[in-house]
Amino acid sequence: MTAPGAQPGSNFRHAGLVEHFFRHEYGKLVAVLCCRVGVQYVETVEDAAQSALMAALESWTQGGLPDNPSAWLFRVAHNNLVGELRQRAGRRRILERGIARDPASEASGVPEGVLAGEVEDDLLRMLFVCCDDAIPEESQLVLALKTLCGFSVQEIALRLFSSEAHVYKRLARARKRLRESPPQLAELGADQYGGRLPRVHQVLYLLFTEGYLSAHAELCIRRELCDEALRLTSTLTQHAVGKTPETYALMALMHLHLPRMTARQDGTGGLLLLEEQDRRRWDPQALQTGLSWLARSAQGQVFSRYHAEAGIAAEHALAPSFQETRWERVVECYTLLEQLAPSALHRLNRAVALAEWQGPRAGLRLLEGFEPPAWLAGSYLWAAVLADLHRRSGQRELAEQHREAALQLAPTPAIKRLLQRRLDGLKRQA
Amino acid sequence: MPKQNYLCIQRSQTGECEEPGQKADKPSPAQMEQMYAKFNAWREQFKDNIVNLGGRLAAGKVLTAQGATDGPFVEAKEVVGGYMILCAESLQEAAEVARQCPGVVRPGSSLEVREIQIS
Repeated sequence: MTAPGAQPGSNFRHAGLVEHFFRHEYGKLVAVLCCRVGVQYVETVEDAAQSALMAALESWTQGGLPDNPSAWLFRVAHNNLVGELRQRAGRRRILERGIARDPASEASGVPEGVLAGEVEDDLLRMLFVCCDDAIPEESQLVLALKTLCGFSVQEIALRLFSSEAHVYKRLARARKRLRESPPQLAELGADQYGGRLPRVHQVLYLLFTEGYLSAHAELCIRRELCDEALRLTSTLTQHAVGKTPETYALMALMHLHLPRMTARQDGTGGLLLLEEQDRRRWDPQALQTGLSWLARSAQGQVFSRYHAEAGIAAEHALAPSFQETRWERVVECYTLLEQLAPSALHRLNRAVALAEWQGPRAGLRLLEGFEPPAWLAGSYLWAAVLADLHRRSGQRELAEQHREAALQLAPTPAIKRLLQRRLDGLKRQA
Repeated sequence: MPKQNYLCIQRSQTGECEEPGQKADKPSPAQMEQMYAKFNAWREQFKDNIVNLGGRLAAGKVLTAQGATDGPFVEAKEVVGGYMILCAESLQEAAEVARQCPGVVRPGSSLEVREIQIS
Protein backbone atom coordinates (compact mmCIF):
# COMPACT_ATOMS: atom_id res chain seq x y z
CA MET A 1 0.00 0.00 0.00
CA THR A 2 1.27 3.52 0.53
CA ALA A 3 4.45 4.31 2.41
CA PRO A 4 4.20 3.05 5.95
CA GLY A 5 4.36 5.70 8.62
CA ALA A 6 7.06 6.24 11.18
CA GLN A 7 6.80 3.65 13.90
CA PRO A 8 10.17 3.26 15.56
CA GLY A 9 10.77 0.57 18.10
CA SER A 10 11.14 -2.56 16.06
CA ASN A 11 14.43 -4.34 16.24
CA PHE A 12 13.59 -6.65 13.41
CA ARG A 13 16.27 -6.72 10.74
CA HIS A 14 15.25 -7.68 7.30
CA ALA A 15 17.53 -10.18 5.66
CA GLY A 16 19.16 -8.83 2.54
CA LEU A 17 20.19 -5.46 3.88
CA VAL A 18 23.00 -4.90 6.32
CA GLU A 19 22.32 -3.04 9.51
CA HIS A 20 22.26 0.74 9.18
CA PHE A 21 21.96 0.34 5.41
CA PHE A 22 19.64 3.34 5.05
CA ARG A 23 21.71 5.57 7.27
CA HIS A 24 25.02 4.70 5.67
CA GLU A 25 23.62 4.90 2.15
CA TYR A 26 22.30 8.33 3.01
CA GLY A 27 25.79 9.41 4.08
CA LYS A 28 27.30 8.03 0.88
CA LEU A 29 24.70 9.71 -1.33
CA VAL A 30 25.21 13.07 0.33
CA ALA A 31 28.99 12.80 0.06
CA VAL A 32 29.07 11.65 -3.55
CA LEU A 33 26.52 14.17 -4.78
CA CYS A 34 27.99 17.08 -2.81
CA CYS A 35 31.35 16.36 -4.35
CA ARG A 36 29.75 16.55 -7.80
CA VAL A 37 27.68 19.69 -7.56
CA GLY A 38 29.44 21.52 -4.74
CA VAL A 39 28.80 21.65 -1.03
CA GLN A 40 26.89 24.92 -1.30
CA TYR A 41 24.00 22.73 -2.44
CA VAL A 42 24.22 20.49 0.60
CA GLU A 43 20.60 21.05 1.62
CA THR A 44 19.26 20.28 -1.86
CA VAL A 45 21.47 17.21 -1.95
CA GLU A 46 20.13 16.06 1.42
CA ASP A 47 16.57 16.47 0.21
CA ALA A 48 17.35 14.47 -2.92
CA ALA A 49 18.89 11.68 -0.84
CA GLN A 50 15.95 11.68 1.56
CA SER A 51 13.45 11.42 -1.30
CA ALA A 52 15.41 8.57 -2.83
CA LEU A 53 15.21 6.61 0.40
CA MET A 54 11.48 7.30 0.60
CA ALA A 55 11.07 6.06 -2.95
CA ALA A 56 13.05 2.94 -2.07
CA LEU A 57 10.82 2.32 0.89
CA GLU A 58 7.78 2.30 -1.35
CA SER A 59 9.24 0.53 -4.29
CA TRP A 60 11.20 -2.15 -2.43
CA THR A 61 8.38 -3.09 -0.11
CA GLN A 62 6.26 -3.72 -3.19
CA GLY A 63 8.60 -5.26 -5.68
CA GLY A 64 11.39 -6.60 -3.51
CA LEU A 65 15.01 -5.54 -3.41
CA PRO A 66 16.67 -4.54 -6.67
CA ASP A 67 19.86 -6.33 -7.69
CA ASN A 68 22.05 -3.49 -6.59
CA PRO A 69 20.25 -1.40 -3.95
CA SER A 70 23.09 1.14 -3.70
CA ALA A 71 23.08 1.79 -7.42
CA TRP A 72 19.29 2.02 -7.43
CA LEU A 73 19.40 4.66 -4.69
CA PHE A 74 22.15 6.57 -6.42
CA ARG A 75 20.23 6.71 -9.68
CA VAL A 76 17.06 7.97 -8.04
CA ALA A 77 18.82 10.50 -5.81
CA HIS A 78 20.88 11.71 -8.72
CA ASN A 79 17.78 12.19 -10.88
CA ASN A 80 16.02 14.00 -8.05
CA LEU A 81 18.95 16.33 -7.67
CA VAL A 82 19.43 17.04 -11.36
CA GLY A 83 15.71 17.69 -11.74
CA GLU A 84 15.66 20.12 -8.85
CA LEU A 85 18.80 21.97 -9.92
CA ARG A 86 17.59 22.26 -13.53
CA GLN A 87 14.33 23.71 -12.40
CA ARG A 88 16.11 26.24 -10.24
CA ALA A 89 18.63 27.17 -12.91
CA GLY A 90 15.73 27.64 -15.32
CA ARG A 91 13.94 29.94 -12.94
CA ARG A 92 17.09 31.89 -12.34
CA ARG A 93 17.78 32.30 -16.06
CA ILE A 94 14.30 33.62 -16.59
CA LEU A 95 14.74 36.08 -13.75
CA GLU A 96 18.20 37.22 -14.62
CA ARG A 97 18.15 36.66 -18.35
CA GLY A 98 21.74 35.87 -17.77
CA ILE A 99 24.02 32.96 -18.37
CA ALA A 100 23.87 31.49 -14.91
CA ARG A 101 26.09 28.55 -14.32
CA ASP A 102 24.10 25.37 -14.41
CA PRO A 103 25.11 23.02 -11.60
CA ALA A 104 22.86 20.32 -13.05
CA SER A 105 25.10 20.03 -16.09
CA GLU A 106 27.93 19.04 -13.78
CA ALA A 107 25.86 16.47 -11.98
CA SER A 108 24.40 15.00 -15.14
CA GLY A 109 27.79 13.81 -16.36
CA VAL A 110 28.02 11.18 -13.66
CA PRO A 111 28.02 7.60 -14.87
CA GLU A 112 25.35 5.39 -13.36
CA GLY A 113 27.48 2.95 -11.50
CA VAL A 114 29.67 4.54 -8.88
CA LEU A 115 32.96 2.93 -8.09
CA ALA A 116 33.30 1.77 -4.53
CA GLY A 117 36.66 3.48 -4.14
CA GLU A 118 35.22 6.71 -5.43
CA VAL A 119 32.50 6.65 -2.80
CA GLU A 120 35.09 6.25 -0.08
CA ASP A 121 37.04 9.18 -1.50
CA ASP A 122 33.95 11.34 -1.47
CA LEU A 123 33.09 10.33 2.09
CA LEU A 124 36.54 11.36 3.13
CA ARG A 125 36.35 14.63 1.22
CA MET A 126 33.08 15.40 2.92
CA LEU A 127 34.67 14.68 6.29
CA PHE A 128 37.28 17.33 5.51
CA VAL A 129 34.51 19.71 4.45
CA CYS A 130 32.86 19.26 7.84
CA CYS A 131 36.14 20.19 9.49
CA ASP A 132 36.35 23.59 7.85
CA ASP A 133 38.18 25.98 10.19
CA ALA A 134 35.51 28.60 9.68
CA ILE A 135 32.79 26.31 11.01
CA PRO A 136 32.52 26.43 14.81
CA GLU A 137 33.77 23.27 16.46
CA GLU A 138 30.43 22.12 17.82
CA SER A 139 28.85 22.69 14.42
CA GLN A 140 31.46 20.48 12.76
CA LEU A 141 30.41 17.51 14.85
CA VAL A 142 26.74 18.08 14.16
CA LEU A 143 27.36 18.49 10.44
CA ALA A 144 29.33 15.24 10.34
CA LEU A 145 26.59 13.39 12.21
CA LYS A 146 23.95 14.77 9.87
CA THR A 147 25.62 14.42 6.48
CA LEU A 148 27.99 11.49 6.96
CA CYS A 149 26.23 9.34 9.53
CA GLY A 150 22.69 10.07 8.36
CA PHE A 151 21.28 10.99 11.77
CA SER A 152 18.28 13.31 11.86
CA VAL A 153 18.29 16.47 13.97
CA GLN A 154 16.14 14.66 16.50
CA GLU A 155 18.49 11.70 16.66
CA ILE A 156 21.53 13.95 17.02
CA ALA A 157 19.86 15.83 19.88
CA LEU A 158 19.22 12.52 21.60
CA ARG A 159 22.81 11.41 21.20
CA LEU A 160 24.45 14.67 22.22
CA PHE A 161 22.00 15.37 25.08
CA SER A 162 21.08 18.61 23.45
CA SER A 163 17.80 20.15 22.39
CA GLU A 164 16.59 19.86 18.82
CA ALA A 165 16.52 23.63 18.52
CA HIS A 166 20.14 23.80 19.61
CA VAL A 167 21.24 21.13 17.16
CA TYR A 168 19.35 22.88 14.41
CA LYS A 169 21.08 26.15 15.22
CA ARG A 170 24.49 24.54 15.05
CA LEU A 171 23.63 22.91 11.79
CA ALA A 172 22.33 26.15 10.33
CA ARG A 173 25.62 27.87 11.15
CA ALA A 174 27.59 25.18 9.34
CA ARG A 175 25.32 25.28 6.29
CA LYS A 176 25.44 29.05 6.12
CA ARG A 177 29.20 28.87 5.96
CA LEU A 178 29.11 26.21 3.23
CA ARG A 179 26.64 28.25 1.20
CA GLU A 180 28.53 31.49 1.48
CA SER A 181 32.03 30.30 0.80
CA PRO A 182 31.93 26.72 -0.39
CA PRO A 183 35.29 24.99 -0.34
CA GLN A 184 36.42 24.04 -3.83
CA LEU A 185 36.93 20.37 -3.22
CA ALA A 186 38.28 19.47 -6.58
CA GLU A 187 41.08 22.00 -6.20
CA LEU A 188 42.28 20.75 -2.85
CA GLY A 189 45.42 18.67 -3.12
CA ALA A 190 46.54 16.00 -0.68
CA ASP A 191 48.94 18.38 1.04
CA GLN A 192 46.21 20.92 1.60
CA TYR A 193 44.09 18.26 3.21
CA GLY A 194 46.96 17.72 5.62
CA GLY A 195 46.34 21.09 7.23
CA ARG A 196 42.84 20.06 8.23
CA LEU A 197 43.82 16.63 9.47
CA PRO A 198 44.17 17.64 13.14
CA ARG A 199 40.60 18.95 13.12
CA VAL A 200 39.39 15.79 11.43
CA HIS A 201 41.06 13.77 14.19
CA GLN A 202 39.45 15.98 16.76
CA VAL A 203 35.96 15.51 15.36
CA LEU A 204 36.41 11.74 15.17
CA TYR A 205 37.75 11.69 18.71
CA LEU A 206 34.86 13.81 19.92
CA LEU A 207 32.39 11.54 18.16
CA PHE A 208 33.92 8.54 19.90
CA THR A 209 34.10 10.04 23.36
CA GLU A 210 30.55 11.35 23.14
CA GLY A 211 29.58 7.72 22.78
CA TYR A 212 32.04 6.18 25.16
CA LEU A 213 31.99 8.51 28.11
CA SER A 214 28.45 9.75 28.03
CA ALA A 215 26.32 9.02 31.04
CA HIS A 216 23.38 8.00 28.91
CA ALA A 217 21.65 4.94 30.21
CA GLU A 218 21.05 3.36 26.84
CA LEU A 219 24.08 1.42 25.79
CA CYS A 220 23.04 0.87 22.21
CA ILE A 221 22.63 4.58 21.54
CA ARG A 222 26.08 5.35 22.86
CA ARG A 223 27.56 2.39 21.07
CA GLU A 224 26.27 3.73 17.77
CA LEU A 225 28.35 6.90 18.03
CA CYS A 226 31.45 4.83 18.77
CA ASP A 227 30.79 2.59 15.79
CA GLU A 228 30.33 5.59 13.50
CA ALA A 229 33.60 7.11 14.75
CA LEU A 230 35.38 3.83 14.09
CA ARG A 231 33.86 3.51 10.62
CA LEU A 232 34.96 7.00 9.57
CA THR A 233 38.40 6.63 11.10
CA SER A 234 38.90 3.37 9.18
CA THR A 235 38.05 5.24 5.99
CA LEU A 236 40.68 7.78 6.91
CA THR A 237 43.37 5.12 7.36
CA GLN A 238 42.75 3.87 3.83
CA HIS A 239 43.87 7.09 2.19
CA ALA A 240 47.26 8.65 1.74
CA VAL A 241 46.27 11.83 3.54
CA GLY A 242 45.14 9.95 6.63
CA LYS A 243 48.01 7.48 6.91
CA THR A 244 49.67 9.18 9.86
CA PRO A 245 50.76 7.95 13.30
CA GLU A 246 48.02 10.08 14.89
CA THR A 247 45.31 8.37 12.84
CA TYR A 248 46.74 4.99 13.83
CA ALA A 249 46.82 6.03 17.49
CA LEU A 250 43.18 7.08 17.19
CA MET A 251 42.32 3.67 15.73
CA ALA A 252 44.20 1.99 18.59
CA LEU A 253 42.43 4.11 21.16
CA MET A 254 39.00 3.22 19.80
CA HIS A 255 39.72 -0.48 19.44
CA LEU A 256 41.20 -0.71 22.93
CA HIS A 257 38.22 0.96 24.53
CA LEU A 258 35.40 -0.77 22.68
CA PRO A 259 35.92 -4.28 24.03
CA ARG A 260 35.47 -2.89 27.52
CA MET A 261 32.26 -1.17 26.65
CA THR A 262 29.93 -4.11 27.14
CA ALA A 263 31.88 -5.27 30.17
CA ARG A 264 31.23 -1.88 31.78
CA GLN A 265 27.64 -2.86 32.36
CA ASP A 266 26.19 -5.60 34.48
CA GLY A 267 23.27 -7.76 33.41
CA THR A 268 20.71 -5.13 34.34
CA GLY A 269 22.36 -2.17 32.62
CA GLY A 270 24.05 -0.87 35.77
CA LEU A 271 27.60 0.44 35.47
CA LEU A 272 30.54 -1.58 36.74
CA LEU A 273 33.80 -0.32 38.17
CA LEU A 274 36.95 -1.20 36.32
CA GLU A 275 38.01 -3.45 39.19
CA GLU A 276 34.66 -5.26 39.14
CA GLN A 277 34.65 -5.97 35.43
CA ASP A 278 35.00 -9.50 34.21
CA ARG A 279 38.11 -9.22 32.11
CA ARG A 280 37.26 -12.45 30.31
CA ARG A 281 34.41 -10.54 28.72
CA TRP A 282 36.83 -8.15 27.03
CA ASP A 283 36.91 -9.13 23.41
CA PRO A 284 40.42 -10.49 22.75
CA GLN A 285 40.09 -10.01 19.00
CA ALA A 286 39.43 -6.28 19.36
CA LEU A 287 42.31 -5.99 21.82
CA GLN A 288 44.63 -7.62 19.32
CA THR A 289 43.48 -5.25 16.59
CA GLY A 290 43.92 -2.29 18.93
CA LEU A 291 47.42 -3.36 19.87
CA SER A 292 48.47 -3.79 16.27
CA TRP A 293 47.24 -0.26 15.50
CA LEU A 294 49.15 0.95 18.53
CA ALA A 295 52.29 -0.67 17.18
CA ARG A 296 51.76 1.03 13.83
CA SER A 297 51.26 4.36 15.54
CA ALA A 298 54.67 4.17 17.19
CA GLN A 299 56.59 5.88 14.43
CA GLY A 300 57.59 9.36 13.37
CA GLN A 301 58.34 12.35 15.57
CA VAL A 302 54.95 13.12 16.98
CA PHE A 303 53.60 11.83 20.25
CA SER A 304 50.01 13.01 20.27
CA ARG A 305 47.34 12.98 22.93
CA TYR A 306 45.84 10.05 21.07
CA HIS A 307 49.06 8.12 21.63
CA ALA A 308 48.92 8.88 25.33
CA GLU A 309 45.28 7.84 25.63
CA ALA A 310 45.77 4.71 23.57
CA GLY A 311 48.73 3.90 25.82
CA ILE A 312 46.56 4.17 28.93
CA ALA A 313 43.84 2.05 27.35
CA ALA A 314 46.45 -0.54 26.37
CA GLU A 315 47.81 -0.77 29.92
CA HIS A 316 44.34 -1.45 31.26
CA ALA A 317 43.59 -3.88 28.48
CA LEU A 318 46.79 -5.82 29.02
CA ALA A 319 46.63 -6.01 32.80
CA PRO A 320 45.53 -9.49 33.91
CA SER A 321 43.73 -7.91 36.87
CA PHE A 322 43.09 -4.52 38.45
CA GLN A 323 45.77 -5.16 41.07
CA GLU A 324 48.35 -6.21 38.51
CA THR A 325 47.97 -3.08 36.40
CA ARG A 326 51.29 -1.39 35.69
CA TRP A 327 50.20 1.81 37.42
CA GLU A 328 53.57 3.48 36.96
CA ARG A 329 53.07 3.33 33.19
CA VAL A 330 49.51 4.60 33.48
CA VAL A 331 50.77 7.55 35.55
CA GLU A 332 53.48 8.21 32.98
CA CYS A 333 50.93 8.30 30.17
CA TYR A 334 48.67 10.63 32.13
CA THR A 335 51.60 12.94 32.78
CA LEU A 336 52.31 13.08 29.06
CA LEU A 337 48.64 13.56 28.30
CA GLU A 338 48.44 16.44 30.73
CA GLN A 339 51.36 18.11 29.01
CA LEU A 340 49.88 17.61 25.55
CA ALA A 341 46.33 18.51 26.45
CA PRO A 342 46.23 20.34 29.77
CA SER A 343 42.99 19.51 31.52
CA ALA A 344 41.97 19.28 35.14
CA LEU A 345 40.31 15.97 34.37
CA HIS A 346 43.63 14.50 33.27
CA ARG A 347 45.18 15.71 36.52
CA LEU A 348 42.41 14.01 38.46
CA ASN A 349 42.91 10.76 36.55
CA ARG A 350 46.63 10.93 37.18
CA ALA A 351 45.95 11.32 40.90
CA VAL A 352 43.80 8.20 40.86
CA ALA A 353 46.48 6.19 39.08
CA LEU A 354 49.18 7.59 41.35
CA ALA A 355 47.15 6.55 44.40
CA GLU A 356 47.07 2.99 43.08
CA TRP A 357 50.82 3.07 42.50
CA GLN A 358 52.19 4.97 45.50
CA GLY A 359 49.28 5.11 47.90
CA PRO A 360 46.38 7.49 48.55
CA ARG A 361 48.52 10.20 50.12
CA ALA A 362 50.57 10.55 46.93
CA GLY A 363 47.32 10.97 45.01
CA LEU A 364 46.07 13.60 47.43
CA ARG A 365 49.36 15.49 47.28
CA LEU A 366 48.96 15.85 43.53
CA LEU A 367 45.59 17.50 44.05
CA GLU A 368 46.66 19.64 46.97
CA GLY A 369 46.38 23.34 46.30
CA PHE A 370 44.95 22.52 42.89
CA GLU A 371 41.92 24.63 42.15
CA PRO A 372 39.62 22.63 39.86
CA PRO A 373 37.61 24.60 37.29
CA ALA A 374 33.93 25.05 38.12
CA TRP A 375 32.74 22.29 35.75
CA LEU A 376 34.92 19.74 37.48
CA ALA A 377 34.45 21.02 41.03
CA GLY A 378 30.70 20.71 40.47
CA SER A 379 30.98 17.19 39.09
CA TYR A 380 30.56 13.99 41.05
CA LEU A 381 33.97 12.84 39.76
CA TRP A 382 35.96 15.33 41.77
CA ALA A 383 34.02 14.71 44.98
CA ALA A 384 34.08 10.94 44.53
CA VAL A 385 37.84 10.77 44.04
CA LEU A 386 38.45 12.98 47.08
CA ALA A 387 36.08 10.88 49.16
CA ASP A 388 37.90 7.73 48.15
CA LEU A 389 41.41 9.07 48.69
CA HIS A 390 40.60 10.69 52.05
CA ARG A 391 38.96 7.56 53.31
CA ARG A 392 41.91 5.45 52.28
CA SER A 393 44.32 7.75 54.05
CA GLY A 394 42.24 7.60 57.23
CA GLN A 395 40.56 11.00 57.14
CA ARG A 396 37.02 9.87 57.82
CA GLU A 397 35.36 13.19 58.30
CA LEU A 398 36.63 14.68 55.06
CA ALA A 399 35.77 11.43 53.29
CA GLU A 400 32.20 11.54 54.54
CA GLN A 401 31.82 15.15 53.47
CA HIS A 402 32.93 14.43 49.92
CA ARG A 403 30.89 11.24 49.77
CA GLU A 404 27.71 13.19 50.48
CA ALA A 405 28.60 15.72 47.79
CA ALA A 406 29.39 13.03 45.22
CA LEU A 407 26.08 11.24 45.76
CA GLN A 408 24.19 14.47 45.46
CA LEU A 409 25.90 15.35 42.19
CA ALA A 410 25.43 11.96 40.50
CA PRO A 411 23.80 12.73 37.13
CA THR A 412 22.03 9.39 36.60
CA PRO A 413 20.62 6.67 38.85
CA ALA A 414 23.14 4.20 37.40
CA ILE A 415 26.06 6.40 38.42
CA LYS A 416 24.53 7.02 41.82
CA ARG A 417 24.24 3.29 42.45
CA LEU A 418 27.82 2.83 41.33
CA LEU A 419 29.04 5.51 43.72
CA GLN A 420 27.01 4.09 46.57
CA ARG A 421 28.43 0.67 46.03
CA ARG A 422 31.96 1.94 45.85
CA LEU A 423 31.89 4.57 48.57
CA ASP A 424 29.56 2.78 50.99
CA GLY A 425 31.61 -0.33 50.67
CA LEU A 426 34.65 1.70 51.55
CA LYS A 427 32.84 3.24 54.48
CA ARG A 428 32.16 -0.18 55.94
CA GLN A 429 35.77 -1.17 55.58
CA ALA A 430 36.94 2.00 57.31
CA MET B 1 -14.82 -21.57 5.05
CA PRO B 2 -14.00 -20.31 1.60
CA LYS B 3 -11.81 -17.28 1.40
CA GLN B 4 -13.12 -14.00 0.14
CA ASN B 5 -11.32 -11.07 -1.34
CA TYR B 6 -11.44 -7.72 0.37
CA LEU B 7 -10.62 -4.31 -1.00
CA CYS B 8 -8.85 -1.94 1.36
CA ILE B 9 -9.15 1.74 0.65
CA GLN B 10 -6.91 4.16 2.46
CA ARG B 11 -8.20 7.67 2.94
CA SER B 12 -6.70 10.75 4.38
CA GLN B 13 -9.08 11.86 7.09
CA THR B 14 -8.13 15.44 7.46
CA GLY B 15 -7.22 16.20 3.89
CA GLU B 16 -3.94 17.46 5.14
CA CYS B 17 -1.44 16.62 2.52
CA GLU B 18 2.17 17.00 3.46
CA GLU B 19 2.57 20.66 4.03
CA PRO B 20 5.71 22.26 2.77
CA GLY B 21 8.10 23.28 5.52
CA GLN B 22 7.26 20.33 7.73
CA LYS B 23 10.68 18.89 7.23
CA ALA B 24 10.98 17.86 10.84
CA ASP B 25 8.31 15.23 10.29
CA LYS B 26 10.15 13.47 7.51
CA PRO B 27 11.36 10.13 8.76
CA SER B 28 15.08 9.80 9.28
CA PRO B 29 17.08 7.11 7.46
CA ALA B 30 17.12 5.00 10.62
CA GLN B 31 13.34 5.30 10.95
CA MET B 32 12.91 4.40 7.30
CA GLU B 33 15.00 1.31 7.85
CA GLN B 34 12.71 0.33 10.70
CA MET B 35 9.64 0.90 8.56
CA TYR B 36 11.12 -1.24 5.85
CA ALA B 37 11.84 -4.02 8.32
CA LYS B 38 8.39 -3.77 9.87
CA PHE B 39 6.64 -3.80 6.55
CA ASN B 40 8.57 -6.85 5.43
CA ALA B 41 7.84 -8.61 8.67
CA TRP B 42 4.14 -7.88 8.21
CA ARG B 43 4.20 -9.07 4.61
CA GLU B 44 5.99 -12.25 5.62
CA GLN B 45 3.53 -12.95 8.43
CA PHE B 46 0.45 -12.42 6.28
CA LYS B 47 1.74 -13.51 2.87
CA ASP B 48 -1.19 -15.90 2.44
CA ASN B 49 -3.64 -13.05 2.95
CA ILE B 50 -2.11 -10.56 0.56
CA VAL B 51 -3.53 -10.85 -2.93
CA ASN B 52 -2.28 -7.54 -4.25
CA LEU B 53 -0.21 -5.07 -2.29
CA GLY B 54 -1.82 -2.37 -4.36
CA GLY B 55 -0.25 1.00 -4.18
CA ARG B 56 -0.64 4.71 -4.08
CA LEU B 57 -3.27 6.33 -6.26
CA ALA B 58 -2.27 9.36 -8.31
CA ALA B 59 -4.46 11.97 -10.01
CA GLY B 60 -7.17 10.68 -12.33
CA LYS B 61 -10.34 11.53 -14.14
CA VAL B 62 -13.93 11.36 -13.05
CA LEU B 63 -16.33 10.16 -15.73
CA THR B 64 -19.99 11.17 -15.64
CA ALA B 65 -22.79 11.14 -18.14
CA GLN B 66 -21.88 14.73 -18.88
CA GLY B 67 -18.30 13.86 -19.76
CA ALA B 68 -14.96 13.63 -18.00
CA THR B 69 -13.36 15.97 -15.50
CA ASP B 70 -9.97 15.89 -13.95
CA GLY B 71 -10.34 14.42 -10.56
CA PRO B 72 -10.80 13.11 -8.06
CA PHE B 73 -13.12 15.89 -7.00
CA VAL B 74 -14.40 14.35 -3.82
CA GLU B 75 -14.23 16.25 -0.59
CA ALA B 76 -10.67 16.98 0.35
CA LYS B 77 -11.01 15.17 3.65
CA GLU B 78 -11.86 11.96 1.87
CA VAL B 79 -9.09 11.80 -0.67
CA VAL B 80 -8.33 8.19 -1.47
CA GLY B 81 -4.62 7.66 -1.11
CA GLY B 82 -4.06 4.00 -1.76
CA TYR B 83 -5.57 0.56 -2.13
CA MET B 84 -4.72 -3.08 -1.48
CA ILE B 85 -6.49 -6.39 -1.95
CA LEU B 86 -6.49 -9.02 0.80
CA CYS B 87 -8.08 -12.41 1.08
CA ALA B 88 -9.44 -13.72 4.33
CA GLU B 89 -12.10 -15.96 5.77
CA SER B 90 -14.03 -13.12 7.29
CA LEU B 91 -14.29 -9.38 7.31
CA GLN B 92 -12.89 -9.47 10.84
CA GLU B 93 -9.81 -11.34 9.73
CA ALA B 94 -9.26 -9.02 6.77
CA ALA B 95 -9.63 -6.01 9.02
CA GLU B 96 -7.12 -7.46 11.47
CA VAL B 97 -4.56 -8.13 8.74
CA ALA B 98 -4.97 -4.60 7.44
CA ARG B 99 -4.83 -3.10 10.89
CA GLN B 100 -1.49 -4.72 11.54
CA CYS B 101 0.01 -3.37 8.34
CA PRO B 102 2.55 -0.84 9.61
CA GLY B 103 1.65 2.74 8.95
CA VAL B 104 -1.60 2.17 7.11
CA VAL B 105 -3.87 3.25 9.91
CA ARG B 106 -2.27 6.22 11.56
CA PRO B 107 -3.36 9.61 12.81
CA GLY B 108 -4.88 11.48 9.88
CA SER B 109 -5.78 8.45 7.81
CA SER B 110 -8.49 5.82 7.80
CA LEU B 111 -8.88 2.48 6.13
CA GLU B 112 -12.06 1.06 4.69
CA VAL B 113 -12.24 -2.71 4.25
CA ARG B 114 -14.95 -4.01 1.88
CA GLU B 115 -15.74 -7.50 0.73
CA ILE B 116 -15.57 -7.90 -3.03
CA GLN B 117 -18.67 -9.86 -4.01
CA ILE B 118 -18.36 -11.78 -7.24
CA SER B 119 -21.58 -13.82 -7.27
